[in-house]
Formats: sequence, structure tokens, C-alpha cells
Amino acid sequence: MDKSSDIVESLIRTAGRRADPPEEAYRQVFATASAAFREKTARRRERQWLLGAAAAAALVLAIALMLQWTPPSAQRGELARVERIIGGAEQATGDVWQALGKSRSSLGTGARIRTQADGRVALALSGGESLRLAADTEVMLDAPGRLYVQRGTIYVDSGPRPAASRLEIVTPGGTARDLGTQFELQVAGAALRLRVREGIVAIDRGGRSLTGNAGEQLAFDDLGSVSREAIATDSPAWQWAESIAPTPDMDGKPAAMLISWVARETGRHLRYESPIVEQRAATVILYGNIRHLAPLAALEAMLATTDLECVLQGDTMEIRTRDPIPPEP
Amino acid sequence: MADLVHVDRAVARRILGGDEAAFRELFDRFFPRLYRFVLARLGGDPDSAQDIVQQTFCNAIERLDTYRGEAALYTWFCQICRNVLADHFRRKGRGATRVVLLEDQPNARAILESLTAPAADQPERGVWREQVQRIVEATLDSLPGHYGEVLEWKYVDGLSVKEIAGRLDLGMKAAESLLTRARESFRDAIVELVGAREDLSAPIVRQLD
Repeated sequence: MDKSSDIVESLIRTAGRRADPPEEAYRQVFATASAAFREKTARRRERQWLLGAAAAAALVLAIALMLQWTPPSAQRGELARVERIIGGAEQATGDVWQALGKSRSSLGTGARIRTQADGRVALALSGGESLRLAADTEVMLDAPGRLYVQRGTIYVDSGPRPAASRLEIVTPGGTARDLGTQFELQVAGAALRLRVREGIVAIDRGGRSLTGNAGEQLAFDDLGSVSREAIATDSPAWQWAESIAPTPDMDGKPAAMLISWVARETGRHLRYESPIVEQRAATVILYGNIRHLAPLAALEAMLATTDLECVLQGDTMEIRTRDPIPPEP
Repeated sequence: MADLVHVDRAVARRILGGDEAAFRELFDRFFPRLYRFVLARLGGDPDSAQDIVQQTFCNAIERLDTYRGEAALYTWFCQICRNVLADHFRRKGRGATRVVLLEDQPNARAILESLTAPAADQPERGVWREQVQRIVEATLDSLPGHYGEVLEWKYVDGLSVKEIAGRLDLGMKAAESLLTRARESFRDAIVELVGAREDLSAPIVRQLD
């Protein structure tokens, strides 16, 4: 033990245990403070309801005006769109929860979404990010570029975008800033678990900032301790996020587009057998629908109609041809 | 820090959203600390201390939607508490017992620097020891999270790292790391109070041995 530790120990030992307040004082103050808390929250709910009613009235007026004049940006105020829902999921803008709207429905500021024990949801955020909610998760769309995670597990895929457009995720246990990446964040009270699949994520917690890099898992307990361990980018731990991935429309698109999407969604490195195969993938056009298929299943189904095939080797996905491509004349 | 959303802001938001568990957790965390904060400034008047802490909670809850997370929530509560104390002293006038603590004085640093520890056989030793005790108590109360509790368990109750780990449901390494951070926080807080000079604590410690 060093000198400063000795001093700390001596001071605390000499001062002794801090005196606890009288039990009676605790009970009386708690009763009064609880009443103040309940009164405050009830008044806020009432005010929010009134504001909601006023907003609704304003919306009716706005719609009436829109019938006569269409504004330049009809999507203003939209923070997300529902991309896909599996199982039970609900949304609320006030205190009333109702079933989450169907695919493509719009969500604005203050919208809260929660999934039930069997539910998963994929949202497309207005900044271009894909946000996915695992089961038993609750989030609120706070503002453009910022969301609040109350509990549960989310997955974000923002693509390799510049840091200027980063997403901020506020949780009871710290704030995550996405620096262009794919990652999962699990929130349980003040405890956090961050799994980074690609890129970098910064966590600001209690005035300190830590970063997680691709292939790392950081666990923050509710007292502030942090532990790091490795997690493979193709680990089965990511499968829940793959299962709710919004499938892109591939009808009439080149196979290379689907291949890149599947590689990214499954956290695998993409390798073509040869430049000729890569060129082939860029020119083969796909037809059909892959809706609601998991990424690898979608790839298998689509490539079955072509002369290309996918071979998985560890964390690498190699694209080959079934038959040798004849040399160009 | 201004652009960062403080963790406490999320706590405040949960409370404003009607989360009873978040309120209870905050109350349990802040009540003993605020009570000691007030009691020391009232010269040990428990009835007034209870009234002031109660008023502090009521005022803080009422204004909680104005909290922006620029400072820790406990610091924000302390500021409200100071205002309630000031009102109390204004109302009571000369009849009130008002204790001006070292750390509340603008020249606290100078005073602490001139604080010389009396010899063991001198009668001032009791008063001086009380001062040290109160400063340590206030410093422990100002630490974030469970740091104060962890330091007390270790150095007052004599718990081993293993026992602390068990109490907090942590691994040994996590508990060791927590204890190290708690010690550093305590040392930093004391050093800040006495003026960025660790050696100022040394005379205190020598007297205590």
C-alpha cells in the first residue's frame, strides 16, 4: 500500500462510521417527499395530456391547411419508420400503450416503443441508421440523432458514416455515441453491456469516456466497474439482430448488392474467388422476393437461381462459381 | 461536459416519468447525506434538520424538470438545500444556531492550510478530531455511487475484499478495482479541499496514530 492509501485509510478509520439519521426522520421525510413526487408526476401527466390535446388540435388544423397547400417537406418531424415487427410490440406517445403500427408507419419525437417477451422490432431512423429492438426492450425517440433506452437490448447498424452524423443513445447507466458502426447495447438499470461488431462506440458514463472497438464486449456494472472481453463478429450472439434485419428489395438488383448486405448483416468478411467472379456477381441480376428470410437463407435462395454459390469459412464468406466460367472470347 | 448527457439526467427523467423505484433509490441515496449536510450546519439540531431536508426534497422534486445535468444531481440537491438553509436562518434571525463550516468559507483552503494538529495531551485535540471527523464524513458523502460505503466497509468495518465482493455481488477483481477507484476519489476530494497538496493530510494522520 502506498503513502496516499495509508493516509486515506487512517483518515477514514479515525473518523469512524458516518452517523445514520434517525429512523423516524427517514419515515416522515420519505412520506412527505413521496407525496410531493406523486403530486408532481400527476400534474405533469395532466399537463402532457393537455399539451397532447393541444397538439392534436394543431395537427387537425395543420391537416386542414395541408389539404389546400402541401409544404415542401411532408416528412418533417419524423424520427423513424417501422421496418419490421416480429411478435408483440407496442407504441405510446403519452401514457396509453397500443399495438405498434404496421410496417412503414411513422414515429415522431417522444414516441416510445416496447417489445414483449416474444417481440422484436426493426426501425429505420431518420438519420439512416437501422435500429433493432430485442425482446423485453423499451426505447424512446428523444430527438433527431438521439434516443433513450430504458431497458432491454438494442442493435444499431449505422454504416460506415462520418462521425458528424453520429447517433447518441442515452441510458440510465451512461450514454453511447456511435462513431460509424454496428453494435449491440444491453441496458439493465445502471448496468450496461456493449458489444461492438464493427467500427467504434464511445460510452460516456459518470464523466468518463471509454471506447469499444470491433470484436470487443464491455460490461459496466451498476457501480462503475468495467470488464472487457472479445466477441467474434460472426458469433451466434448476433443472431437475434440478423433475424429481425429489414430485408432490402432485391428484385431486379445485381447479386453483388445482396452478397454485400448478407456479409455485413452476418458480420463476415467478404471474399470473391477471383476478380472474374466478382465481376460476375456485379452483372447477374436477381429476380424475386426475399422478404422475412434471414440473411444467409435469403442469399442461399437467391443464389440458387444463379451460377454463384456461397461458402462459409470461419468468419469469411467466399463467393465462388458452381461451374468454371469460360474465358471471354 | 455540456454536450454530454449526465447519467443523473436520465435518473431525473425517470423520476419525472413517474418511476417509483427510481425515486425510492434516489431518496435512499440522498437522504442520509443531506441529513448530515444539514445537521452539521445547524450545530446538531435534529428537528430543524429534518424540516430542512424535507423542504429540500419537496423543492427539488418541484423543480426537477429544470435540472439539465450540468452538475451531479447530488450537487444540485445540495445547492437547493443551501437555499432552504438560508431561508431558515433568515426566518429565525438571531435565534438560530448557525455553524459556518470550513468548506463553506471562501478562504477554506487557507484555513485548512493553517490548521495545525495539536499534541495528543492538549485539550484542543478533541475539537480538532471532531473537525477531521466531519471533514472526512462530508468528503465520503460527496463521493459518487457506492464509493463512500465501500471505503467504510473496508476501513471502518474491516471487511476483506472478498467480503466486499460478496456484498456487492462482484468478482474479486471488480471489487479490488472499485476499492482503488473509491480510494482515489476520496484522496482527490480531500486534496481538492486542502489545496492540491497531499502532504497536508500527513500532519493530520501523524496526530491520529
